[in-house]
Amino acid sequence: MTTTVATTSIRTEERASLLGRVLGSPLARLIARRILIATPLLLAISILVFAMLEAIPGDPARNQAGMDATEEQVEAVRKQMGLDRPAVERYLTWLGGFVTGNLGRSSVSEQPVTSLLAERMPVTIELVALAFLVSLAIAIPVALLAARKPGGVFDRVVMVISMTLLAVPNYVMALLLVLVFAVTLRSLPAIGYVSLDDGLLANLRSVTLPVLALAIPLACFYARFLRGDLVEQMNSADYVETARAKGVTPWKVLWGHAFRNSSFGLLTLVGLNIGGLVGGTVIVEQIFSMPGLGVLMLQGVMSRDTAVVQICVFIFAAVAVLANLVVDVMYAVLDPRIRYGHR
Amino acid sequence: MTRSAKGGRSAKRLIGTLAVVSGLAMAATGCVSGGGDGGSSGAAGDPTPGGELTVLLDSGFAGGWATGLDPATSNTTGANLAQNSAIFGGLFTLEPDGDGGGEIVPNQAEAYSWSDDGLTLTITLRDGITFTDGTPLNAEAVVWNWIRALNSGSTGTPRLQLDETIPAPDLGDEFMTSLWEALPADVDREAVERHLGAIQATDELTVTMTLTAVNGALINGFPTSSFNLIASPTAYAATTPEEFSLNPVGAGPFVVESNKMSERLELTKNPDYFKPGLPYLDAINFQSVAGDQVAYQTLLAGQGDVIEGLSSVPLITEATNNPDVEVHLGAPTSPYVVQLNTRVAPFDDIRAREAIYYATDFEAINEGLFKGEGEMSQTFTASGGLFYEPEVDGYRTYDLDKAKALVEELGGLTVTLGTTDIVTARSVITALQTQWAEAGIDVTINAEPLGDVITRFINGDWQSLLQTAGAWDPSVGIGVGVRFGSTSPFSGTPLPEGAASAQEALQNGLQTELDVLLNEAVATNDEDERKAKYLEIATYISDQAYAPFGMAFSPAQVIRKGVHGPGLDDPIPALSVNQGVLYDRVWVASGQ
Repeated sequence: MTTTVATTSIRTEERASLLGRVLGSPLARLIARRILIATPLLLAISILVFAMLEAIPGDPARNQAGMDATEEQVEAVRKQMGLDRPAVERYLTWLGGFVTGNLGRSSVSEQPVTSLLAERMPVTIELVALAFLVSLAIAIPVALLAARKPGGVFDRVVMVISMTLLAVPNYVMALLLVLVFAVTLRSLPAIGYVSLDDGLLANLRSVTLPVLALAIPLACFYARFLRGDLVEQMNSADYVETARAKGVTPWKVLWGHAFRNSSFGLLTLVGLNIGGLVGGTVIVEQIFSMPGLGVLMLQGVMSRDTAVVQICVFIFAAVAVLANLVVDVMYAVLDPRIRYGHR
Repeated sequence: MTRSAKGGRSAKRLIGTLAVVSGLAMAATGCVSGGGDGGSSGAAGDPTPGGELTVLLDSGFAGGWATGLDPATSNTTGANLAQNSAIFGGLFTLEPDGDGGGEIVPNQAEAYSWSDDGLTLTITLRDGITFTDGTPLNAEAVVWNWIRALNSGSTGTPRLQLDETIPAPDLGDEFMTSLWEALPADVDREAVERHLGAIQATDELTVTMTLTAVNGALINGFPTSSFNLIASPTAYAATTPEEFSLNPVGAGPFVVESNKMSERLELTKNPDYFKPGLPYLDAINFQSVAGDQVAYQTLLAGQGDVIEGLSSVPLITEATNNPDVEVHLGAPTSPYVVQLNTRVAPFDDIRAREAIYYATDFEAINEGLFKGEGEMSQTFTASGGLFYEPEVDGYRTYDLDKAKALVEELGGLTVTLGTTDIVTARSVITALQTQWAEAGIDVTINAEPLGDVITRFINGDWQSLLQTAGAWDPSVGIGVGVRFGSTSPFSGTPLPEGAASAQEALQNGLQTELDVLLNEAVATNDEDERKAKYLEIATYISDQAYAPFGMAFSPAQVIRKGVHGPGLDDPIPALSVNQGVLYDRVWVASGQ
């Protein structure tokens, strides 16, 4: 009996000690610090977005009601949109609701914002996640092959193609992809989204073109960046020389040594790009008629639906902040030289 | 009157802002002849039942239904003609008259009549029509819907001068409970009671509406108004307002299968539709798409069969030359107009306005920008509109010498010319700037977002604005009153004498001579009298040099070969912005 109590007591102490170590670790402190910094940042963003919506010229109620609406009808719309209350009161109401988990209703459709988000977020998350995977899946092998023989035919072709594609805006890319794959080849749908519930293949067919529209410019960017960094590492880094001197094959040096170092830079880029990529979904979702967060936000902006726009922008901003936090954490995990907690 | 055409509007209409964008959008539609066979339904053979159709609608206008499809609460009734026609059918429809024009025809209504004094409208409903939930579409249902529309804040509700002195009849507890539950919690109950006196069900199939002033445009306005759309009160009571807004129940040719707001609406055939053998189609889908380019590519990719209101010039040219599609335009109803703000300098001086008339050569712009295919107009409507007059006596046409002389007499003329930021509208104001400069007018042009233009109108902070004016009936929607009535926020005509603002004029019941004419034009049910009044109005606007008019265009229907129906290959004039399509009679040729 005494032994059992003692054992339990030791385990509890061990757990407490482990928890203490985790919480007190540099990584945990880093995460806590970043979250603390992010909170006022996100608050500031929410205020800024609200102010910007207020500053858009024109009367949103009149906009919503139409030109032939009577003044009474315009006032009714104003009331329905909540615009008859002072701006500060409306912001504080939104903030209070946000903190308590009540995001309110769309002032246009009257639907609960939470249900709108629940419908739309999976679409955007799928698009962004696949776009990243596809862009990296293209960029890494292409960059490795190009860096293997800098100035070679493959390298030159890749550089020219990637520069060309980088110059194409994603909405033009989207239309070109539709022209080739939907209109000419008729192999993929031009618009629409098929939910995963309706089958994986159908879902993947429906997202292929929008994912490519997002991923191709990113892949070009990553490939060019990674190729440049790899070539620099291969030409000047001491550890590369050492590896070569040890008789390690060029491919192994490239893949096993140089790429590992270059991946940190790539990781930074990926983190920085997340905000831009999520922003890119606004246009791409619109072109491909995808029922995602981007389209929801655009519709919200057009109709000055504050409740919807506020939360959409907040989510976009939070994703960008979170992405950078994840990159920092991954740095700390991957690179033992980095000791954030001791700085 | 069907003609194949191409044209151009790159308008992206903001949801709910019907007028500015819609007008410019339509006006920007250049008509170019050629291509397609322009086949009418008559040449297409006998209608074939069956099949499914996907209609592509611009997300910026007809493809936006963010406020839902409940007629009483939707703010996009005028834009969502296609969806509403399919779900509700309508008491009245605007039908093609076979000569490019249109005529209002009772649909779910069997007939209508006006009392001798023109103040009481009596509508008789067809017997035996049921909603898709099986309940009857009767007079009581019409009253329920109209009272809801009047008291729920929808901007699709017509402006009515109801006689509110008539006592409301005893309608029974069941009806009143159903009605109160369907109205906003803070509704003005006394107003509802007054409305119930003016609008009454006199028997199972007869509804009367009593007005205090004759309204000759009331019936013509039905197809774009929420009053035309009768929903099932029983179905409403059985669900939540939000759910009903998503899945409304009407007595139209189709039933809502699924609805993703402003994205995709899927409908299936109503097997109990009141017209035998109709609808022809088994199912119809409305897909919202991001503009003309996406719509056209989607059509070519086989994911759509119809584009309502395609407007980009290059795309319509492309479509006209594509053997797989047809392009059809209706007769136009809304010409370009340069509104001049007479309330501020320099256009408070008629000589400055005259100089603009004489310096403006819309025919040259029509040739240069639209290949001469626009239809020139000297008034607020075009050949597709009711009461159209091709020429107005005394209209000041292009005369550079006169323009120069007037500018010299004025000691120079400096003006700003604005418009909504749409590609074609920008091109037109650039051309106008060049023309006006030749007359010695110093012009600053400015294309701004729609919100800014509306703000300018409301604040009176503008000198001249390129807009479009008109509707099928000039007094419906964004008609002549919106552009030229002195108390309209979107007008630059003089305020009534003694009024410092439109609000003051309204409060004191002050009117201008033009206001009186505008009111008189709707204060009669006699079409000939109305026509004469509108000619007087056109002449008055011309004489006072309030606004030079230009070319008018019609929205284009682009359809896959083998698709037929009224409003598609058998054009109907645009009611205000887009054409109505009578989807119960749309069919797809077998094998297409």
